[in-house]
Amino acid sequence: MAPPMVTLSEAIERARSEDRSVLTEIESKQILAAAGIPVAEATLATSADEAATAAAKAGFPAVLKIVSPDVTHKSDIGGVKVGLEDEAAVRAAYDDILTAVKEHQPKARIEGIAVQAMARAGTEVIAGMSKDPQFGPVLMFGLGGIFVEVLKDVSFRIVPLEDRDAREMIDEINGRAILDGVRGGEPADISALAGLLLKLSAFAEANPQVEELDLNPVFAYKDGCIAVDARIVVGETT
Amino acid sequence: MPDLTQRLDRAFNPKTVAVVGDKRAMGYMWLHSMKAFTGKLYSVQIDPAEIPGIEALEVPNYASLAEIPDDIDYVICAVPRPVAARIIADCAKKNVGAVSLFTSGFAETETEEGIEAQRQVTEIARENDLLLIGPNCMGIHNRRLGVRHSPDQDHGDAGNVGFISQSGTHCINFSLIGATHGIKCSKTVSFGNAVLLDAPDYIDYLAQDAETDVIAIYIEGTRDGPRLLRSLKAAAARKPVVVWRGGTNTAGSRAVYSHTASLAAAPEVWSAAMRQAGVIETDDLDETIDAVKALVYCKPATGKRMGLVAMTGGQSVVITDAFEREGMDVPLLTPASYEKLASFFNIIGGSYRNPLDAGGTIGMGFVPGNLKKLFEILDDDENVDAIAMEVSGTFIARRLRDNPSMMDGLLDILSEQRERSAKPFLAVTHPSHVEDVMADVRRKLLDRGVAAFTSFHAAARALSRTTAYWARRDGA
Repeated sequence: MAPPMVTLSEAIERARSEDRSVLTEIESKQILAAAGIPVAEATLATSADEAATAAAKAGFPAVLKIVSPDVTHKSDIGGVKVGLEDEAAVRAAYDDILTAVKEHQPKARIEGIAVQAMARAGTEVIAGMSKDPQFGPVLMFGLGGIFVEVLKDVSFRIVPLEDRDAREMIDEINGRAILDGVRGGEPADISALAGLLLKLSAFAEANPQVEELDLNPVFAYKDGCIAVDARIVVGETT
Repeated sequence: MPDLTQRLDRAFNPKTVAVVGDKRAMGYMWLHSMKAFTGKLYSVQIDPAEIPGIEALEVPNYASLAEIPDDIDYVICAVPRPVAARIIADCAKKNVGAVSLFTSGFAETETEEGIEAQRQVTEIARENDLLLIGPNCMGIHNRRLGVRHSPDQDHGDAGNVGFISQSGTHCINFSLIGATHGIKCSKTVSFGNAVLLDAPDYIDYLAQDAETDVIAIYIEGTRDGPRLLRSLKAAAARKPVVVWRGGTNTAGSRAVYSHTASLAAAPEVWSAAMRQAGVIETDDLDETIDAVKALVYCKPATGKRMGLVAMTGGQSVVITDAFEREGMDVPLLTPASYEKLASFFNIIGGSYRNPLDAGGTIGMGFVPGNLKKLFEILDDDENVDAIAMEVSGTFIARRLRDNPSMMDGLLDILSEQRERSAKPFLAVTHPSHVEDVMADVRRKLLDRGVAAFTSFHAAARALSRTTAYWARRDGA
C-alpha cells in the first residue's frame, strides 16, 4: 500500500508537531515529484513483508533506507542497504537496518524504511537551494562526490532563474567537461539538468517556507536525470 | 514613486541650487565647487561670522530657505547634525526638487544618537515625500552644468559616463582620476546611507538617461538584493554597466544543515548575481577605470581573437601572455595576410606570425608607411577581431621624444586606425624609464580617441571583460 501523497503544508505541519525542520526523504521526494522534479520515488514500508512487496513492484536491484526524523546521516549508522537483488535480500536488509539503527541511535523515532529501485549510476551532480541574507533564495549546482566535498566546484544563481541562467550556471563549473562524458563515458543531458534547475527555481519561488533544499546526488544520463536523494528544510515559522 | 524619473531629472539637472551651512572651516568647499554652476546659486547661513566670507564669493546669502525668492531644484545641506532635521523640514516646506545631506554622524556611527537622528530626518522626508539623498554623502555631480563635488572637477562640456557610489571619496576619485584617463562623467551621485533613495533608484534613472552611455557603480552591499539584481539587469540590457564591490560579507552564523548552505558564501553569491545581471564586475578603481575606458573608447566587438603588435621579441611574448591569460586568443593570420606581410616585413630581428614583432619594420612610427600597411593587413584579416599595440617608451625615447612632428605623425596613424577600423583598437603605453613622456603620449592618444592603457594586463583584462559583455548582450 503506497501512502497518500503528502503536500508541503501537511509535511510542514507534521514536522513542526514533531519539533523538526528537516522533512523526511519520502516527504521531500513526494513534494518535489509533485512539482515536476524528477526523483527516484520511494515507498514507505513498515514491515519486512511490505518492503519485499514494494521492492518487487519497484524492480530489482532495490535500495532500502531508514526513515527517521532523528537520523540525518543514514549511511553512517548502517541505515542504508543497496544492490538488493531479490525479495529475500530485501527482507534480510530490512531487519539488518532496524537492528543497526537501534544499536547506534536507540532513541531515534523510526517511521519505517523507504524502498526504491536502485537507480542506474550516471554522472553524479548535486543541486540545491539556500537563502542568502541579501538575495534570498539562491540555487547551487555542482558535480557530486569529491568535486563538491573537496574542490567545492559549484556555481550559484539567484531565484528566479531564466533558461539562460540555468545553462550558464552549468557551464560555469570548472569540471564542466566531465558532463560531456569522460573516456567514452555517457554524456550528461544538459537540457534535462537545466530543466531541473528551472523547476527548482519555480519551486523555491512558490514556496518561501522552504529554507533549504538538497538534491544529492542527482544522476545525469544521456537522456534525462533523476534525484536519488532529496531533503527539504523548512523554516521555524510560516 | 511613479514620477521618480522626472523628479530625479530635476535634481540631476538643476536650474537653481542652494548650499545650506557652508563655512570657512571647510574652506567654503561647496560654494567654491558650485562657482562653476551655470544656474542660479544661493547660500543659506545664519552665522554672522560666516556671512562676509560667503558674500566675498559673490553668492547671495539668505537666513533661511524660505526667504530665497526662487524655486530651488537642488539643496546641498552641510549643517551640523543637530540642525539637520530642521533644514530637512525647511526643504519639505519649500518644496525643493531634492536635498542631499552632506552632514554625517548618522547611523554609520552605530551610536544611539546617530541612529535616532537618522530616523528623524528619514521620517520627515518620507512624510513630506521629499527626495532625500544620503545622509553622509556628496550628492549629485553634473559636469555639463557645473554642479560639482570638488573645484578640481572639469565642467562645461558633456560627459557620457554615469557613476553611482555608496562612498563619497570613490565618487570624487572616479571623476577626477577617470578624467586623467580620458573618462568624462555625465552625472555622478554619492548616495551614502541611502535612507530613502537607494542604488536601484539611481541605476534606473541613469539607465534611461540619454546623456549616459556607460554606468559604473561602487557599492558595498544592498538591503534588497533581488531589486538590485532587477535594476542592474534592466540597465545592462540597455547600456554597459560596471560594478565595483567594496568590502566582503562575512557569512552569517546561520545553522548549517546542508552542503548548499555551507557553500553559499556571500562573495560567490554576489558574483553570481552580477553574472546573472550581465554586468562587468571589478575589484578596484583601476579595474573600473580600465573597463570603462575600453567601453568608451573601443568599438564594441564580441570576438576574442587578437592581432598583437609589439616592438621587440620579449614584448611580443608577454603581450601575448597577457591576452591569453585573460581568455583572449592569439590565432595565426590568414595566408593572404602572410603573403602581404612577407613582401615588406623585416624578419631580421623580427617576426610576423602573430604576435607581430615589428620594431624593425615600423620603428615605432619611424617608418609610418609600414605601420599603416600593417594595420590594414590586420584590419582585413578575418582571423582577427581586435588589435592591440605596444607603444614603446624605449623607442619613443630614442627616436620620437625630441621630434614632435614625427611623434604627431605616429599619433595620427593610431587615431586614423581607431577611426577607420570596425575592430577594437588598444594602445598600451608599457611602463618605461620616461614615464613623464609616456603619460603625455597616453593623454594625447586619449585626446585623439585612442584607448591607451598603462600595461598589457590592464588592456587585456579590460578588453576581455567588455568583449564578454557585448557577446552576452548580443546573445540575449
